[in-house]
Amino acid sequence: MGTRRALATSPIGARAACLLPVATTLVAALLSLEPIPLPGYAVLTPAFALMAVYHWTVYRPDLLPPIALFGIGIGYDLLCGGPPGVTPLLLLLSRAAVLRARRWFVNRTFAFVWAGFAVLTVAAIFALWALECLLGWQLLSANGSIFRAALTIALFPIASFMLGRTQHALIGPG
Amino acid sequence: MPPLTEAGGGGAVTPLSMLRRSAAHRVVAPLLVVVSVLMIILGKVDQVMFESVRISVTDYAAPFLDMVSRPFMVIDQFAERVEAMVDLYQDNLRLTEENRRLLHWQQAALALADENRELRDLLKLVPDASRSFVSARVIASSGGAYLRNVMVNAGSDSGVERGQAAVVGEGLIGRVYEVGVRAARILLITDLNSRVPVIVERSRQRAILAGDNSQSPSLWYLDPAAPVKIGDRIVTSGEGGIFPPGLPVGVVGQVESGIPRVQPYAPLAQVEYVRIVDYGLADGLPMPLAVPHISPRAAPRAAKTSRH
Repeated sequence: MGTRRALATSPIGARAACLLPVATTLVAALLSLEPIPLPGYAVLTPAFALMAVYHWTVYRPDLLPPIALFGIGIGYDLLCGGPPGVTPLLLLLSRAAVLRARRWFVNRTFAFVWAGFAVLTVAAIFALWALECLLGWQLLSANGSIFRAALTIALFPIASFMLGRTQHALIGPG
Repeated sequence: MPPLTEAGGGGAVTPLSMLRRSAAHRVVAPLLVVVSVLMIILGKVDQVMFESVRISVTDYAAPFLDMVSRPFMVIDQFAERVEAMVDLYQDNLRLTEENRRLLHWQQAALALADENRELRDLLKLVPDASRSFVSARVIASSGGAYLRNVMVNAGSDSGVERGQAAVVGEGLIGRVYEVGVRAARILLITDLNSRVPVIVERSRQRAILAGDNSQSPSLWYLDPAAPVKIGDRIVTSGEGGIFPPGLPVGVVGQVESGIPRVQPYAPLAQVEYVRIVDYGLADGLPMPLAVPHISPRAAPRAAKTSRH
């Protein structure tokens, strides 16, 4: 506990800790690229970056600037071989939506926060499906997306717990 | 809206007014949204525009992705070992039986190989260009529902070239479509953009294997007069010069509303290592059929030693 306090209160430590939201979002995006050899995992890969963006936009939006989301999104698109621009667009729009609706989630029980994330995930994954249909100019099957959204929502409590713990330990209550 | 300052849920909250005060925030976010949309449009209009950027980013990230993916590989290998130990007895019985059967086939194959060699000599048939290959590990995969590709940790410095076939023991998985110095990207046969000229082995019927992001790609342009059967073997036809003829792809698994779907031999969702094979074919360009083995590109490659 002593070292944690020292990290949060020393000027250099505090400044470094402020990079935490960007760092965790970057790690979350990289985690989505991991080739985990489970049957069907490639289709169902949870949108880890969305979890981080939601968490930090609700609790510390000042530490997750849009330019960082743009950079992480472009990097992700280039590494996964997708059309560049799609992920930053979705992350930035998610951030904007959460910023507007933020007051509904803070000071509420976790159930509200989770419900908010569920709404965001469904909207974001639907938007991705619509965008891919538009770019490919054909109606694509949405089955994979439905399961992907369900898995992302189901895993959010674990991500939220881990991010909340890290936040309390390193950044401290803002 | 009143400023929010109290902690809630899993973390602490910053006053929203702080964000509002910053004029830059109001301009930057919408500007970046516009830039993203422009990038999507530009990427759609000119598909090769971002290719060089993509390749260099991939190259820089490859060692890092390689390192990060190792712990997952170790966990997976450990799980496989535990599983193998549990199934030891059953596996032993199965393998003993399989070995007995394969020894029988080995005899048949040796006899056929002899006969084949004699017939080739009689016909003065020119042998195929020798093959060399590079084994590579999958270091990243495109998560999500709309892309089917994998990145491997071998690039042009290992001899990987665009258009080469990627196979695992059981069959074809795709082809190399982007090559960096240290990494390459393989378009899987299940991707929406994948089209592979194939042939139904039993009936010699030609078709196109078209990916649609589902687990089993479909067969297009089949002759309706000669329907395929479930269980028919599908192999590459070699047309178009991208793949050599006869590479196993999969079997017809089911027929959905008149369109046969192919179950690939290779477990595409769980590929860890791939073999990138150089068949001495040019980069996806059709070559004169009569002289493939003496093309200037194929000759030096044929002399290249095989690599593991």
